[in-house]
Amino acid sequence: MIIFKNISKIYPPDIVALKNINLHIKPKEFVSIVGRSGTGKTTLVKILVAEEPPSKGQIIVGGWEITNIRESEVPSLRRQIGVVFQDFKLLPKKTVFENIAFALEVCGTDRIKIKEVVPQVLKIVGLTGKEDRYPIQLSGGEQQRVAIARALVHRPKILVADEPTGNLDSINTREIVDLLLKINEFGTTVVLVSHNREVINSINKRVVTLDNGTVISDQKFGKYFL
Amino acid sequence: MASPYRILTFAWQSFWRNIWLSLVTITIIVLTFISINFLVVINFITDAAIKVLQEKVDISINFKPDVLEPQVQEIQTYLSALTQVKEINYISQKEALENFRQTHSANQLVIDSLAELENNPLGASLQIKAKNLDDYSEIITVINNSKYNNLIAVKNFDDNQLYISKTKNVSEYVKKIAVFASGFFILVAFLIVFNTIRVAIYTHRQEIGVMKLVGATNWFIRGPFIVEAIFYGVIACILAILIIYPFLNFLQPYLVKFYLTEDFNIINYFNENFWQIFGLELLVIIALTIVGSIIAIRRYLKV
Ligand SMILES: Nc1ncnc2c1ncn2[C@@H]1O[C@H](COP(=O)(O)OP(=O)(O)OP(=O)(O)O)[C@@H](O)[C@H]1O
Ligand SMILES: [Mg+2]
Repeated sequence: MIIFKNISKIYPPDIVALKNINLHIKPKEFVSIVGRSGTGKTTLVKILVAEEPPSKGQIIVGGWEITNIRESEVPSLRRQIGVVFQDFKLLPKKTVFENIAFALEVCGTDRIKIKEVVPQVLKIVGLTGKEDRYPIQLSGGEQQRVAIARALVHRPKILVADEPTGNLDSINTREIVDLLLKINEFGTTVVLVSHNREVINSINKRVVTLDNGTVISDQKFGKYFL
Repeated sequence: MASPYRILTFAWQSFWRNIWLSLVTITIIVLTFISINFLVVINFITDAAIKVLQEKVDISINFKPDVLEPQVQEIQTYLSALTQVKEINYISQKEALENFRQTHSANQLVIDSLAELENNPLGASLQIKAKNLDDYSEIITVINNSKYNNLIAVKNFDDNQLYISKTKNVSEYVKKIAVFASGFFILVAFLIVFNTIRVAIYTHRQEIGVMKLVGATNWFIRGPFIVEAIFYGVIACILAILIIYPFLNFLQPYLVKFYLTEDFNIINYFNENFWQIFGLELLVIIALTIVGSIIAIRRYLKV
Protein backbone atom coordinates (compact mmCIF):
# COMPACT_ATOMS: atom_id res chain seq x y z
CA MET A 1 0.00 0.00 0.00
CA ILE A 2 1.22 3.47 -0.96
CA ILE A 3 -0.22 6.56 0.68
CA PHE A 4 0.50 10.14 -0.39
CA LYS A 5 -0.93 12.47 2.23
CA ASN A 6 -1.08 16.19 1.36
CA ILE A 7 2.18 15.92 -0.54
CA SER A 8 3.61 19.14 -1.94
CA LYS A 9 6.93 19.61 -3.63
CA ILE A 10 8.60 22.93 -4.20
CA TYR A 11 11.93 22.93 -6.00
CA PRO A 12 14.06 25.82 -4.84
CA PRO A 13 13.57 28.64 -5.17
CA ASP A 14 9.84 28.52 -5.95
CA ILE A 15 8.99 25.96 -8.64
CA VAL A 16 5.86 24.26 -7.45
CA ALA A 17 5.93 20.73 -8.89
CA LEU A 18 3.24 19.15 -6.71
CA LYS A 19 0.42 20.68 -4.68
CA ASN A 20 -1.49 18.79 -2.03
CA ILE A 21 -1.45 15.35 -3.57
CA ASN A 22 -3.62 12.75 -1.84
CA LEU A 23 -3.43 9.26 -3.24
CA HIS A 24 -4.04 5.77 -1.92
CA ILE A 25 -2.72 2.90 -3.97
CA LYS A 26 -3.79 -0.51 -2.79
CA PRO A 27 -1.60 -3.62 -2.88
CA LYS A 28 -1.67 -5.41 -6.26
CA GLU A 29 -3.31 -2.43 -7.90
CA PHE A 30 -2.39 -1.20 -11.39
CA VAL A 31 -2.40 2.60 -11.52
CA SER A 32 -1.65 4.78 -14.51
CA ILE A 33 -0.56 8.32 -13.87
CA VAL A 34 -1.09 10.67 -16.77
CA GLY A 35 -0.75 14.36 -17.40
CA ARG A 36 0.90 16.96 -19.57
CA SER A 37 4.63 17.47 -19.64
CA GLY A 38 6.02 19.24 -16.59
CA THR A 39 3.00 18.49 -14.50
CA GLY A 40 4.84 16.65 -11.73
CA LYS A 41 4.59 12.96 -12.63
CA THR A 42 8.31 12.23 -12.39
CA THR A 43 8.49 14.27 -9.20
CA LEU A 44 5.86 11.99 -7.72
CA VAL A 45 7.97 8.97 -8.65
CA LYS A 46 11.08 10.56 -7.16
CA ILE A 47 9.30 11.15 -3.88
CA LEU A 48 8.08 7.58 -3.87
CA VAL A 49 11.63 6.17 -4.21
CA ALA A 50 13.08 8.78 -1.82
CA GLU A 51 15.17 10.44 -4.48
CA GLU A 52 13.60 13.75 -3.50
CA PRO A 53 12.08 14.59 -0.12
CA PRO A 54 8.60 16.08 -0.16
CA SER A 55 8.36 19.72 0.93
CA LYS A 56 5.17 19.03 2.81
CA GLY A 57 2.97 16.08 3.64
CA GLN A 58 3.53 12.46 4.42
CA ILE A 59 4.38 9.43 2.36
CA ILE A 60 3.92 5.87 3.53
CA VAL A 61 5.00 2.75 1.64
CA GLY A 62 3.83 -0.61 2.92
CA GLY A 63 3.17 0.83 6.36
CA TRP A 64 6.60 2.42 6.43
CA GLU A 65 6.61 6.18 6.83
CA ILE A 66 9.39 7.32 4.52
CA THR A 67 8.75 11.05 4.61
CA ASN A 68 11.99 11.73 6.48
CA ILE A 69 13.74 8.50 5.63
CA ARG A 70 17.34 8.22 6.75
CA GLU A 71 20.00 7.96 4.09
CA SER A 72 21.03 4.57 5.40
CA GLU A 73 17.51 3.22 4.95
CA VAL A 74 17.09 4.31 1.35
CA PRO A 75 18.73 1.17 -0.11
CA SER A 76 16.26 -0.98 1.77
CA LEU A 77 13.35 1.02 0.29
CA ARG A 78 14.81 0.81 -3.21
CA ARG A 79 14.93 -2.97 -2.97
CA GLN A 80 11.24 -2.97 -2.27
CA ILE A 81 10.39 -0.73 -5.21
CA GLY A 82 11.57 -1.68 -8.69
CA VAL A 83 11.91 1.30 -11.04
CA VAL A 84 12.28 1.55 -14.82
CA PHE A 85 12.70 4.63 -16.96
CA GLN A 86 12.29 5.80 -20.48
CA ASP A 87 16.05 5.59 -21.08
CA PHE A 88 16.50 2.01 -19.71
CA LYS A 89 19.72 2.87 -17.82
CA LEU A 90 21.52 -0.31 -18.88
CA LEU A 91 25.31 -0.54 -18.68
CA PRO A 92 26.56 -0.74 -22.29
CA LYS A 93 29.68 -2.73 -21.49
CA LYS A 94 27.81 -5.48 -19.72
CA THR A 95 25.80 -8.24 -21.28
CA VAL A 96 22.13 -8.81 -20.51
CA PHE A 97 23.08 -11.37 -17.89
CA GLU A 98 25.74 -9.13 -16.35
CA ASN A 99 23.44 -6.14 -16.28
CA ILE A 100 20.89 -8.03 -14.26
CA ALA A 101 23.48 -9.81 -12.14
CA PHE A 102 25.03 -6.43 -11.31
CA ALA A 103 21.90 -5.37 -9.46
CA LEU A 104 22.27 -8.43 -7.23
CA GLU A 105 26.05 -8.26 -6.88
CA VAL A 106 26.00 -4.70 -5.59
CA CYS A 107 23.53 -5.71 -2.95
CA GLY A 108 25.84 -8.43 -1.74
CA THR A 109 24.06 -11.44 -3.23
CA ASP A 110 26.28 -14.49 -3.65
CA ARG A 111 27.06 -16.08 -6.98
CA ILE A 112 24.95 -19.16 -6.50
CA LYS A 113 21.87 -17.10 -5.79
CA ILE A 114 22.63 -14.82 -8.74
CA LYS A 115 22.84 -17.80 -11.10
CA GLU A 116 19.46 -18.88 -9.85
CA VAL A 117 17.62 -15.55 -9.92
CA VAL A 118 18.80 -14.07 -13.24
CA PRO A 119 17.35 -16.83 -15.45
CA GLN A 120 14.09 -16.61 -13.54
CA VAL A 121 13.58 -12.91 -14.20
CA LEU A 122 14.80 -13.32 -17.80
CA LYS A 123 12.10 -15.91 -18.24
CA ILE A 124 9.43 -13.58 -16.85
CA VAL A 125 10.33 -10.87 -19.37
CA GLY A 126 10.74 -13.39 -22.17
CA LEU A 127 14.42 -12.91 -22.90
CA THR A 128 15.69 -16.40 -22.24
CA GLY A 129 18.47 -17.15 -24.72
CA LYS A 130 19.58 -13.56 -25.11
CA GLU A 131 21.62 -13.33 -21.92
CA ASP A 132 24.94 -12.97 -23.70
CA ARG A 133 23.95 -10.04 -25.89
CA TYR A 134 25.02 -6.51 -25.24
CA PRO A 135 22.33 -3.80 -24.92
CA ILE A 136 23.30 -2.39 -28.30
CA GLN A 137 22.43 -5.74 -29.89
CA LEU A 138 18.84 -5.56 -28.65
CA SER A 139 15.76 -3.68 -29.83
CA GLY A 140 14.43 -0.86 -27.68
CA GLY A 141 11.62 -3.07 -26.39
CA GLU A 142 14.08 -5.81 -25.49
CA GLN A 143 16.30 -3.33 -23.71
CA GLN A 144 13.35 -2.11 -21.69
CA ARG A 145 12.54 -5.72 -20.82
CA VAL A 146 16.08 -6.16 -19.52
CA ALA A 147 15.54 -3.08 -17.37
CA ILE A 148 12.26 -4.56 -16.09
CA ALA A 149 13.99 -7.86 -15.36
CA ARG A 150 16.62 -5.97 -13.42
CA ALA A 151 13.92 -4.14 -11.46
CA LEU A 152 12.43 -7.49 -10.49
CA VAL A 153 15.53 -9.19 -9.05
CA HIS A 154 14.73 -8.23 -5.48
CA ARG A 155 11.13 -9.45 -5.83
CA PRO A 156 9.74 -5.97 -5.18
CA LYS A 157 6.12 -5.52 -4.11
CA ILE A 158 5.94 -2.38 -6.21
CA LEU A 159 7.10 -1.72 -9.75
CA VAL A 160 7.22 1.89 -10.93
CA ALA A 161 7.60 2.61 -14.63
CA ASP A 162 8.20 6.23 -15.61
CA GLU A 163 7.30 6.54 -19.31
CA PRO A 164 8.71 3.09 -20.06
CA THR A 165 7.44 3.22 -23.62
CA GLY A 166 8.49 6.77 -24.41
CA ASN A 167 11.26 5.62 -26.71
CA LEU A 168 9.44 2.68 -28.28
CA ASP A 169 7.35 2.09 -31.40
CA SER A 170 3.75 0.89 -31.05
CA ILE A 171 4.52 -2.84 -31.31
CA ASN A 172 7.21 -2.72 -28.65
CA THR A 173 5.02 -0.44 -26.57
CA ARG A 174 2.24 -3.02 -26.64
CA GLU A 175 4.64 -5.76 -25.56
CA ILE A 176 5.95 -3.76 -22.62
CA VAL A 177 2.45 -2.87 -21.46
CA ASP A 178 1.40 -6.50 -21.69
CA LEU A 179 4.45 -7.44 -19.66
CA LEU A 180 3.56 -4.90 -17.00
CA LEU A 181 0.01 -6.26 -16.87
CA LYS A 182 1.41 -9.78 -16.52
CA ILE A 183 3.70 -8.73 -13.69
CA ASN A 184 0.69 -7.08 -12.04
CA GLU A 185 -1.27 -10.31 -12.35
CA PHE A 186 1.52 -12.09 -10.45
CA GLY A 187 0.70 -9.77 -7.55
CA THR A 188 2.99 -6.80 -7.94
CA THR A 189 1.64 -3.27 -7.55
CA VAL A 190 2.36 -1.41 -10.78
CA VAL A 191 2.53 2.36 -11.10
CA LEU A 192 2.75 3.36 -14.75
CA VAL A 193 3.49 6.93 -15.73
CA SER A 194 2.55 7.57 -19.34
CA HIS A 195 1.73 10.10 -21.98
CA ASN A 196 0.39 7.57 -24.40
CA ARG A 197 -3.34 7.89 -25.03
CA GLU A 198 -3.66 4.53 -26.81
CA VAL A 199 -1.83 2.71 -24.05
CA ILE A 200 -3.91 4.19 -21.28
CA ASN A 201 -7.17 3.62 -23.08
CA SER A 202 -6.33 -0.02 -23.78
CA ILE A 203 -5.44 -0.89 -20.19
CA ASN A 204 -8.81 -0.08 -18.72
CA LYS A 205 -7.63 0.20 -15.14
CA ARG A 206 -7.34 3.03 -12.63
CA VAL A 207 -6.12 6.33 -14.11
CA VAL A 208 -4.95 9.29 -12.05
CA THR A 209 -4.67 12.52 -14.01
CA LEU A 210 -2.36 15.29 -12.86
CA ASP A 211 -2.44 18.85 -14.00
CA ASN A 212 -0.29 21.64 -12.73
CA GLY A 213 0.85 19.58 -9.80
CA THR A 214 -2.60 18.55 -8.57
CA VAL A 215 -4.80 15.51 -9.07
CA ILE A 216 -7.65 16.60 -11.31
CA SER A 217 -9.23 13.19 -11.77
CA ASP A 218 -8.94 9.69 -10.34
CA GLN A 219 -11.07 7.06 -12.13
CA LYS A 220 -11.37 3.38 -11.44
CA PHE A 221 -11.55 2.36 -15.10
CA GLY A 222 -10.20 5.51 -16.59
CA LYS A 223 -9.51 6.93 -19.98
CA TYR A 224 -6.99 9.44 -21.22
CA PHE A 225 -8.94 12.65 -21.68
CA LEU A 226 -6.49 15.54 -21.73
CA MET B 1 28.29 -7.37 2.67
CA ALA B 2 30.53 -5.95 -0.02
CA SER B 3 32.65 -8.88 -1.03
CA PRO B 4 36.37 -8.12 -0.82
CA TYR B 5 36.91 -9.81 -4.15
CA ARG B 6 34.45 -7.52 -5.91
CA ILE B 7 35.85 -4.41 -4.31
CA LEU B 8 39.43 -5.34 -5.19
CA THR B 9 38.48 -6.13 -8.77
CA PHE B 10 36.78 -2.80 -8.93
CA ALA B 11 39.85 -0.95 -7.64
CA TRP B 12 42.04 -2.84 -10.09
CA GLN B 13 39.80 -2.04 -13.06
CA SER B 14 39.51 1.56 -12.01
CA PHE B 15 43.29 1.74 -11.80
CA TRP B 16 43.65 0.58 -15.41
CA ARG B 17 40.78 2.59 -16.76
CA ASN B 18 42.53 5.87 -16.01
CA ILE B 19 46.03 4.49 -16.13
CA TRP B 20 47.82 7.82 -16.67
CA LEU B 21 46.01 9.47 -13.86
CA SER B 22 46.77 6.46 -11.67
CA LEU B 23 50.46 6.71 -12.53
CA VAL B 24 50.56 10.42 -11.74
CA THR B 25 48.80 9.79 -8.45
CA ILE B 26 51.21 7.05 -7.49
CA THR B 27 54.22 9.11 -8.55
CA ILE B 28 53.15 11.99 -6.35
CA ILE B 29 52.58 9.72 -3.38
CA VAL B 30 55.98 8.09 -3.98
CA LEU B 31 57.55 11.56 -3.96
CA THR B 32 55.75 12.26 -0.72
CA PHE B 33 57.17 9.09 0.82
CA ILE B 34 60.65 9.94 -0.43
CA SER B 35 60.55 13.44 0.89
CA ILE B 36 59.41 12.24 4.32
CA ASN B 37 62.20 9.67 4.34
CA PHE B 38 64.65 12.31 3.28
CA LEU B 39 63.75 13.95 6.56
CA VAL B 40 64.50 10.70 8.36
CA VAL B 41 67.88 10.47 6.60
CA ILE B 42 68.79 14.06 7.44
CA ASN B 43 67.90 13.42 11.04
CA PHE B 44 70.08 10.37 11.10
CA ILE B 45 73.06 12.11 9.47
CA THR B 46 73.00 15.17 11.69
CA ASP B 47 72.38 13.15 14.84
CA ALA B 48 75.39 11.05 13.95
CA ALA B 49 77.48 14.15 13.27
CA ILE B 50 76.54 15.64 16.60
CA LYS B 51 77.31 12.38 18.39
CA VAL B 52 80.72 12.23 16.73
CA LEU B 53 81.46 15.78 17.79
CA GLN B 54 80.16 15.23 21.30
CA GLU B 55 82.30 12.17 21.62
CA LYS B 56 85.32 14.40 21.12
CA VAL B 57 84.34 16.94 23.75
CA ASP B 58 86.08 16.71 27.11
CA ILE B 59 87.63 18.73 29.89
CA SER B 60 91.20 17.99 30.67
CA ILE B 61 92.73 19.33 33.85
CA ASN B 62 96.49 19.32 34.19
CA PHE B 63 97.81 19.42 37.70
CA LYS B 64 100.94 21.16 38.79
CA PRO B 65 103.92 18.80 38.80
CA ASP B 66 104.11 18.81 42.59
CA VAL B 67 100.61 17.46 43.02
CA LEU B 68 100.95 13.83 43.92
CA GLU B 69 99.00 10.80 42.95
CA PRO B 70 96.92 10.31 46.12
CA GLN B 71 95.74 13.87 45.89
CA VAL B 72 94.80 13.51 42.24
CA GLN B 73 92.91 10.37 43.08
CA GLU B 74 91.06 12.15 45.82
CA ILE B 75 90.03 14.75 43.26
CA GLN B 76 89.03 12.05 40.84
CA THR B 77 86.84 10.45 43.48
CA TYR B 78 85.34 13.84 44.27
CA LEU B 79 84.53 14.56 40.63
CA SER B 80 83.25 11.07 39.93
CA ALA B 81 80.57 11.68 42.49
CA LEU B 82 79.09 14.46 40.38
CA THR B 83 75.95 13.38 38.58
CA GLN B 84 76.97 15.20 35.42
CA VAL B 85 80.15 13.19 34.99
CA LYS B 86 80.13 10.18 32.71
CA GLU B 87 83.72 9.04 33.00
CA ILE B 88 87.12 10.24 34.12
CA ASN B 89 90.35 9.15 32.60
CA TYR B 90 93.43 9.42 34.81
CA ILE B 91 96.79 10.08 33.19
CA SER B 92 99.63 9.76 35.66
CA GLN B 93 102.77 11.86 35.60
CA LYS B 94 104.70 8.92 34.21
CA GLU B 95 102.26 8.33 31.43
CA ALA B 96 102.24 12.01 30.63
CA LEU B 97 105.99 11.95 30.28
CA GLU B 98 105.89 8.82 28.19
CA ASN B 99 103.30 10.37 25.90
CA PHE B 100 105.36 13.46 25.62
CA ARG B 101 108.46 11.46 24.75
CA GLN B 102 106.63 9.57 22.11
CA THR B 103 105.13 12.56 20.39
CA HIS B 104 108.51 14.27 20.33
CA SER B 105 110.66 11.23 19.67
CA ALA B 106 111.85 12.73 16.41
CA ASN B 107 113.10 15.86 18.09
CA GLN B 108 116.49 15.07 19.61
CA LEU B 109 116.73 18.45 21.23
CA VAL B 110 113.59 17.92 23.28
CA ILE B 111 114.67 14.42 24.27
CA ASP B 112 118.05 15.70 25.34
CA SER B 113 116.67 18.52 27.40
CA LEU B 114 114.27 16.11 29.11
CA ALA B 115 117.19 13.97 30.11
CA GLU B 116 118.82 17.02 31.72
CA LEU B 117 115.95 17.45 34.13
CA GLU B 118 115.98 15.64 37.44
CA ASN B 119 112.27 15.82 38.10
CA ASN B 120 109.32 15.04 35.91
CA PRO B 121 108.24 18.46 34.69
CA LEU B 122 104.80 17.24 33.72
CA GLY B 123 101.85 16.99 36.03
CA ALA B 124 99.21 14.31 36.12
CA SER B 125 95.96 15.04 34.40
CA LEU B 126 92.30 14.03 34.38
CA GLN B 127 90.16 13.83 31.29
CA ILE B 128 86.52 14.27 32.09
CA LYS B 129 83.58 13.39 29.92
CA ALA B 130 80.17 14.64 30.84
CA LYS B 131 76.91 12.87 30.24
CA ASN B 132 75.43 15.79 28.36
CA LEU B 133 76.91 18.60 26.43
CA ASP B 134 75.32 21.15 28.73
CA ASP B 135 76.91 19.57 31.78
CA TYR B 136 80.41 20.70 30.93
CA SER B 137 79.98 24.27 32.04
CA GLU B 138 78.53 23.08 35.36
CA ILE B 139 81.44 20.73 35.89
CA ILE B 140 83.85 23.57 35.21
CA THR B 141 82.06 25.77 37.71
CA VAL B 142 82.26 23.03 40.33
CA ILE B 143 86.00 22.66 39.75
CA ASN B 144 86.58 26.39 39.83
CA ASN B 145 84.79 26.72 43.13
CA SER B 146 86.39 23.70 44.71
CA LYS B 147 89.30 23.81 47.11
CA TYR B 148 91.35 21.93 44.52
CA ASN B 149 91.36 24.77 42.07
CA ASN B 150 94.78 26.02 43.10
CA LEU B 151 96.35 22.64 42.42
CA ILE B 152 95.48 22.89 38.78
CA ALA B 153 97.96 24.26 36.30
CA VAL B 154 95.83 24.32 33.15
CA LYS B 155 92.21 23.61 32.44
CA ASN B 156 91.36 22.78 28.87
CA PHE B 157 87.85 22.72 27.69
CA ASP B 158 87.99 21.56 24.15
CA ASP B 159 84.35 22.12 23.58
CA ASN B 160 83.69 21.81 19.85
CA GLN B 161 80.76 23.94 20.85
CA LEU B 162 81.08 26.00 17.73
CA TYR B 163 81.03 22.98 15.44
CA ILE B 164 78.18 21.41 17.30
CA SER B 165 76.05 24.50 17.13
CA LYS B 166 76.93 25.01 13.49
CA THR B 167 75.99 21.44 12.73
CA LYS B 168 72.78 21.92 14.64
CA ASN B 169 72.02 25.08 12.72
CA VAL B 170 72.63 23.52 9.36
CA SER B 171 70.61 20.48 10.40
CA GLU B 172 67.72 22.63 11.59
CA TYR B 173 67.82 24.54 8.35
CA VAL B 174 67.86 21.46 6.14
CA LYS B 175 65.15 19.90 8.29
CA LYS B 176 62.99 22.96 7.83
CA ILE B 177 63.33 22.66 4.08
CA ALA B 178 62.57 18.95 4.22
CA VAL B 179 59.55 19.51 6.46
CA PHE B 180 58.34 22.17 4.10
CA ALA B 181 58.87 19.90 1.09
CA SER B 182 57.11 17.02 2.86
CA GLY B 183 54.22 19.27 3.78
CA PHE B 184 54.03 20.45 0.21
CA PHE B 185 54.04 16.91 -1.15
CA ILE B 186 51.47 15.79 1.38
CA LEU B 187 49.21 18.61 0.30
CA VAL B 188 49.73 17.86 -3.40
CA ALA B 189 49.23 14.13 -2.80
CA PHE B 190 46.03 14.91 -0.98
CA LEU B 191 44.72 17.06 -3.83
CA ILE B 192 45.77 14.52 -6.44
CA VAL B 193 44.05 11.67 -4.61
CA PHE B 194 40.98 13.80 -4.22
CA ASN B 195 40.98 14.59 -7.93
CA THR B 196 41.69 11.01 -8.98
CA ILE B 197 38.77 9.73 -6.97
CA ARG B 198 36.63 12.49 -8.37
CA VAL B 199 37.53 11.34 -11.88
CA ALA B 200 36.93 7.72 -10.90
CA ILE B 201 33.49 8.68 -9.64
CA TYR B 202 32.86 10.51 -12.88
CA THR B 203 34.02 7.53 -14.93
CA HIS B 204 31.68 5.27 -12.99
CA ARG B 205 28.72 7.61 -12.87
CA GLN B 206 26.55 5.20 -14.86
CA GLU B 207 27.27 2.26 -12.59
CA ILE B 208 26.77 4.47 -9.55
CA GLY B 209 23.40 5.54 -10.89
CA VAL B 210 22.33 1.95 -11.37
CA MET B 211 23.66 0.94 -7.97
CA LYS B 212 21.58 3.61 -6.29
CA LEU B 213 18.58 2.63 -8.34
CA VAL B 214 18.69 -1.01 -7.33
CA GLY B 215 19.35 -0.32 -3.66
CA ALA B 216 23.04 -0.98 -3.18
CA THR B 217 24.08 0.11 0.30
CA ASN B 218 26.08 3.28 0.56
CA TRP B 219 29.18 1.46 1.65
CA PHE B 220 28.91 -0.80 -1.33
CA ILE B 221 28.92 2.25 -3.53
CA ARG B 222 31.59 4.18 -1.63
CA GLY B 223 33.79 1.36 -0.41
CA PRO B 224 35.45 0.63 -3.74
CA PHE B 225 36.57 4.25 -4.14
CA ILE B 226 38.09 4.27 -0.70
CA VAL B 227 39.79 0.95 -1.37
CA GLU B 228 41.09 2.36 -4.63
CA ALA B 229 42.60 5.30 -2.75
CA ILE B 230 44.21 2.96 -0.20
CA PHE B 231 45.49 0.87 -3.06
CA TYR B 232 47.39 3.90 -4.40
CA GLY B 233 48.96 4.48 -1.00
CA VAL B 234 50.11 0.88 -0.64
CA ILE B 235 51.54 0.63 -4.16
CA ALA B 236 53.34 3.94 -3.69
CA CYS B 237 54.77 2.77 -0.36
CA ILE B 238 56.17 -0.39 -1.92
CA LEU B 239 57.70 1.60 -4.79
CA ALA B 240 59.16 4.14 -2.38
CA ILE B 241 60.83 1.36 -0.38
CA LEU B 242 62.26 -0.07 -3.60
CA ILE B 243 63.72 3.33 -4.41
CA ILE B 244 64.93 4.29 -0.95
CA TYR B 245 67.05 1.21 -0.16
CA PRO B 246 69.38 1.51 -3.17
CA PHE B 247 69.80 5.14 -2.24
CA LEU B 248 70.77 4.16 1.32
CA ASN B 249 73.25 1.65 -0.08
CA PHE B 250 74.73 4.39 -2.13
CA LEU B 251 74.89 6.74 0.84
CA GLN B 252 76.41 4.42 3.42
CA PRO B 253 80.07 4.43 2.16
CA TYR B 254 80.04 8.21 2.24
CA LEU B 255 78.89 8.17 5.84
CA VAL B 256 81.74 5.84 6.76
CA LYS B 257 84.20 8.10 5.00
CA PHE B 258 82.80 11.22 6.56
CA TYR B 259 82.55 10.04 10.15
CA LEU B 260 85.60 7.76 10.01
CA THR B 261 83.65 5.10 11.82
CA GLU B 262 81.33 2.22 10.99
CA ASP B 263 79.22 3.03 14.03
CA PHE B 264 76.55 4.75 12.04
CA ASN B 265 74.89 2.47 9.55
CA ILE B 266 71.89 4.04 7.95
CA ILE B 267 70.78 0.79 6.30
CA ASN B 268 70.72 -0.95 9.67
CA TYR B 269 68.90 2.02 11.07
CA PHE B 270 66.17 1.71 8.45
CA ASN B 271 66.08 -2.07 8.86
CA GLU B 272 65.77 -1.91 12.62
CA ASN B 273 63.09 0.76 12.48
CA PHE B 274 61.43 -0.54 9.32
CA TRP B 275 57.92 -0.74 10.75
CA GLN B 276 58.20 2.45 12.77
CA ILE B 277 59.34 4.34 9.69
CA PHE B 278 57.43 2.83 6.80
CA GLY B 279 54.51 1.54 8.84
CA LEU B 280 53.87 4.95 10.32
CA GLU B 281 54.35 6.68 6.99
CA LEU B 282 52.01 4.24 5.32
CA LEU B 283 49.40 4.85 8.01
CA VAL B 284 49.69 8.58 7.55
CA ILE B 285 49.48 8.32 3.76
CA ILE B 286 46.55 5.92 3.94
CA ALA B 287 44.75 8.22 6.34
CA LEU B 288 45.40 10.99 3.86
CA THR B 289 44.09 9.06 0.88
CA ILE B 290 41.04 7.99 2.83
CA VAL B 291 40.23 11.54 3.83
CA GLY B 292 40.84 12.71 0.24
CA SER B 293 38.56 10.07 -1.20
CA ILE B 294 35.86 10.60 1.41
CA ILE B 295 35.76 14.30 0.64
CA ALA B 296 35.57 13.53 -3.08
CA ILE B 297 32.77 11.04 -2.41
CA ARG B 298 30.91 13.51 -0.23
CA ARG B 299 31.07 16.15 -2.90
CA TYR B 300 30.55 14.15 -6.04
CA LEU B 301 28.72 11.05 -5.01
CA LYS B 302 25.38 12.09 -3.68
CA VAL B 303 23.67 8.96 -2.53
N1 LIG C 1 15.42 19.12 -10.02
C1 LIG C 1 14.55 20.09 -10.33
N2 LIG C 1 14.78 21.37 -9.98
C2 LIG C 1 13.91 22.33 -10.28
N3 LIG C 1 12.78 22.14 -10.91
C3 LIG C 1 12.47 20.89 -11.29
C4 LIG C 1 13.34 19.80 -11.03
N4 LIG C 1 12.80 18.66 -11.52
C5 LIG C 1 11.63 19.05 -12.07
N5 LIG C 1 11.44 20.37 -11.94
C6 LIG C 1 10.24 21.11 -12.37
O1 LIG C 1 9.13 20.56 -11.72
C7 LIG C 1 8.04 20.46 -12.59
C8 LIG C 1 7.55 19.04 -12.69
O2 LIG C 1 8.57 18.25 -13.32
P1 LIG C 1 8.42 16.69 -13.57
O3 LIG C 1 9.66 16.21 -14.09
O4 LIG C 1 7.87 16.07 -12.35
O5 LIG C 1 7.30 16.69 -14.72
P2 LIG C 1 6.74 15.44 -15.55
O6 LIG C 1 5.29 15.44 -15.33
O7 LIG C 1 7.50 14.21 -15.25
O8 LIG C 1 7.03 15.90 -17.03
P3 LIG C 1 7.36 14.96 -18.32
O9 LIG C 1 6.07 14.40 -18.75
O10 LIG C 1 7.89 15.95 -19.32
O11 LIG C 1 8.35 13.97 -17.90
C9 LIG C 1 8.52 21.03 -13.90
O12 LIG C 1 8.11 22.36 -14.00
C10 LIG C 1 9.99 20.96 -13.83
O13 LIG C 1 10.57 22.00 -14.58
MG1 LIG D 1 8.69 12.87 -16.33
